[in-house]
Amino acid sequence: MNILRRRGWELPERLVTPEHVFLNRRAFLAAGTGIAALAVAGRARAETDPSASLYPASVNPAFKDAGRDVTPFEINSTYNNYYEFNTSKRIYEQAEALPIRPWSVVIDGEVEKPVTIAIDDLLKRMTLEERVYRHRCVEAWSMVVPWTGFALSEFVSLAKPLASAKFVRFETFNLPDVAAGQKPGLFSSMPWPYVEGVTIAEAGNELPFMVTGAYGKPLPKSMGAPLRLHLPWKYGFKSIKGIVRVSFTSERPIGFWEQLQASEYGFWANVNPEVAHPRWSQASERVLGTDEQIPTQLFNGYGEYVAALYAGMEKEPLYM
Amino acid sequence: MYPWTDRSGRFSALKSAVFAGLFLPLLWLIWRWRTGDLGPLPIDEATLESGRWTVRMIVITLAITPLQRIFGWGRLALVRRQVGLAAMGYALLHLSLYVADQKFDLGRVASEIALRLYLTIGFAAVFGLVVLGVTSTNAAVRYLGRWWKPLHRVAYAIAGLGILHFFMQSKIDATQAALMMGFFILVMLYRVPNAARLRSVWTLAGIAIMAAFLTAGLEATWYGAATGIKPLAVLQANLLFPGVIRPAWVVLGTGLAVALLWFGQRTWAAQKRQLQAAA
Ligand code: HEM
Repeated sequence: MNILRRRGWELPERLVTPEHVFLNRRAFLAAGTGIAALAVAGRARAETDPSASLYPASVNPAFKDAGRDVTPFEINSTYNNYYEFNTSKRIYEQAEALPIRPWSVVIDGEVEKPVTIAIDDLLKRMTLEERVYRHRCVEAWSMVVPWTGFALSEFVSLAKPLASAKFVRFETFNLPDVAAGQKPGLFSSMPWPYVEGVTIAEAGNELPFMVTGAYGKPLPKSMGAPLRLHLPWKYGFKSIKGIVRVSFTSERPIGFWEQLQASEYGFWANVNPEVAHPRWSQASERVLGTDEQIPTQLFNGYGEYVAALYAGMEKEPLYM
Repeated sequence: MYPWTDRSGRFSALKSAVFAGLFLPLLWLIWRWRTGDLGPLPIDEATLESGRWTVRMIVITLAITPLQRIFGWGRLALVRRQVGLAAMGYALLHLSLYVADQKFDLGRVASEIALRLYLTIGFAAVFGLVVLGVTSTNAAVRYLGRWWKPLHRVAYAIAGLGILHFFMQSKIDATQAALMMGFFILVMLYRVPNAARLRSVWTLAGIAIMAAFLTAGLEATWYGAATGIKPLAVLQANLLFPGVIRPAWVVLGTGLAVALLWFGQRTWAAQKRQLQAAA
């Protein structure tokens, strides 16, 4: 059976020009034009980030091309959902307040030995590579991002989960002193910290990517520095940012959005154009940085990698 | 009667200034669009912005009569129609932007309006605004006679529908919707007592407090009914200091400011009368 043979998004070569976007961006930063705040943030990052020398990493040939133009860095780093800072899309200034060194990640739960590992030690132990992924937000817009990071499966091997581990649960920082959205007020009553999760089978797939950089540099804070997840076949809210804890659990974790709005945001959240969000259609998506509105693909076009994960699970609400 | 003249055809500075002011949000929106400040999905952002201005214009329209009654500012009557028409204008802009965002696929627009309850509600509100708009000409007012007033009470329902649409489209954060709801409650409560009763510090302060409690209560009810946030936590958030200023407090502050202003106006008028009597 090979119904998903077509590589959904590996479209004609004419669409693929990530390098020129890189060059443009470098020219943009070097010339010091454009959004001043961004240029400043970019420079500060390059100077102070102890991992700067690790970038750019070599490109994984299987994911060197996402079938669409890479979204310009200026858009990607300034148009973000990150409710820890505020509920608008413009969080990049406020996100700069987040201290990302020292930063460590706790690995616990159903593992041979719980550990806490500093981010720079973790980076040394993982194999960094670059992958260009399509990102589909549940709000029906999308972009293409050249991430740098390591496979989640490699991280799972490092963590050595026990056989009792059935799920991987990720947790974000909870820092009311720096993150405006976590300050006392209505939003302090939200279920912080942000939590997301995948099954152990999903975590073993080759797609899930632990991201530490983008566009050949350390990750900007607005995009989830110093460590975030990206699950390209799921709606964006699953791709948790600012990870401080990874727990292996026997019970299914309940995500932040699932706690807030279970009728709209579920555990699986696999992209499917035929299953509408209760308040809007998911049939198509607006591509950031273009005027295009294009049809959305099942599993965001990554079905050949992940469809098998869900064989026989038709009873589950796989698409919300 | 032009947008800048009063009923007798004379130039009115108040009316002209308000008329010009009604275009400022539009100009600001165009400026943001031209400078790229609307972000990578400009139509989407403009849709949100025009929707917010529609609700604000409706609430301002409904505030005019109470302000007139409280402060005796009779001349405000001159601007009520144009603010109401601006609400209709921003609503039509909002709808047009939505249509543009759907790439002018009218079939899809119609099916989305039919399928998504919050859009159906928004559509009903736009429809109502247009009906009120076309029946607001002098000729229509004369023609409708005593039916005009009951018909235009529909404005209250339109405001309610618009605010409900505002709540329903929000992705968890309904703070702005709750604030607009609070102002709406305030201006509706001012309509309950007769003019003599209304013009007292105690009535005005009482209304402010009542509006604040209703705002807090209904806001918590919304989160409880529509989200996984615990209503009690929402109520408690009103008492977290220092924190973000919550809608109920803004409504209370506004209502108390009205009460104080009225008190000031009355005291000042009384002193002026005394001085005049003494002279
Ligand atoms: C057919 C009529 C209408 C349609 C199709 C419509 C459509 C929409 C849509 C799609 C959104 C969400 C946009 C997004 O999330 O990107 C929205 C938001 C909004 N609409 Fe409407 N709307 C209609 C009528 C109205 C009316 C009559 C009002 C005011 C009385 C209104 C006020 C708002 C407000 C305040 C928002 C939210 C802005 C924010 O989140 O800050 N809409 N509308």
